[in-house]
Amino acid sequence: MERVTAWIQDKNPGLEGPVDAHEDLIEARLIDSMDFLEFIDLLEDISGTSIDLQEVTIDDFRTLARVQERFLAPTA
Amino acid sequence: MSTPSATTPPVTGLKSPGPGLLTLDPAHTALLGALDVLLGGLAARLSAPEVTGPPLLPADGLARLDYFRNFPHLGVAAGRFAPDAHDLLAAGQAPGDRSLEPTGYLLPSATCYGLLLSLEGADVGEDGLRLSAAGRCFRNETHYDGLRRLWGFHMREVVYLGTKEGAVQHLERGAEFIQRTAALLGLDLTRAAADDPFYDKGGSRARLMALDPVKHEYSAPDGTAVASVNRHRNFFGERLDIRAGAHGPAHSSCVAFGLERWTHAMLLAHGGPEEALARVRAATA
Repeated sequence: MERVTAWIQDKNPGLEGPVDAHEDLIEARLIDSMDFLEFIDLLEDISGTSIDLQEVTIDDFRTLARVQERFLAPTA
Repeated sequence: MSTPSATTPPVTGLKSPGPGLLTLDPAHTALLGALDVLLGGLAARLSAPEVTGPPLLPADGLARLDYFRNFPHLGVAAGRFAPDAHDLLAAGQAPGDRSLEPTGYLLPSATCYGLLLSLEGADVGEDGLRLSAAGRCFRNETHYDGLRRLWGFHMREVVYLGTKEGAVQHLERGAEFIQRTAALLGLDLTRAAADDPFYDKGGSRARLMALDPVKHEYSAPDGTAVASVNRHRNFFGERLDIRAGAHGPAHSSCVAFGLERWTHAMLLAHGGPEEALARVRAATA
């Protein structure tokens, strides 16, 4: 998750303080639409698995909590 | 969804000057004008004052709004003849043979761009700001089709800037107005997520939009999109430093009507322009 938060901080240099785990990253445009595929690449790189955009919804990317749960949680 | 149009207006004595260009006769002009008055009723309901946008937009301003990253193929640029061509043109040489030099300006492709650029650096306050404007818009298309797809057309927009909640509410009220107005006009419109003509259809913005549509269109039975509701999140607020008081960068949204397309939809539903105009007048009364 550190790489994800570092990426968001890097993309949003004006951010003051950490991003709340439940903040809406999409609506606040902390993930800009032009950077969305780069964000997908980052998640794929961290998790080591590919993300099929046909099998996800926007809510899977909406908060850090959901990103952690959906893509970065260790699989059982 | 592109089917041959049966409603290209008769241009008795009024010839088309070129592809995607029409001169509307008096009956169609009256219909288009009456539709603008009726659809402009949304602005009255939302207390959005009428303004007149600029006729040209600076290319560098549009670049800051990612316009060229999204739609490099649509922009109709304003050019001027180089000074060394003036004598040749004045001597009667065909203008098509002379190259143009750029002015750094484009004709608008949507009405809201000029309004948004004019608000750069503004604080619209926590109550937000609404504006309404109609203007001619221009888009380079791969084909043209009667009133459905023109090189230049009239677009009425009602724009909101303010809070996130206000931007959502603006679109909800706009959507209600579109549905109610369509019913009054006897139009059967279908709402669907829009497939915007992004140049890079596999690009990041297009892929995100597929997951989270920020634009929905209302289409006539033949597939002609006549209106859209668009939310911009805080994109324009950030890019143009437009603030909503203590809320920070303004969120914005807009409701847009393509007036020639409403004219087309009315002809499709009701036949001739006189019948369609009577229907608009009854709905306006």
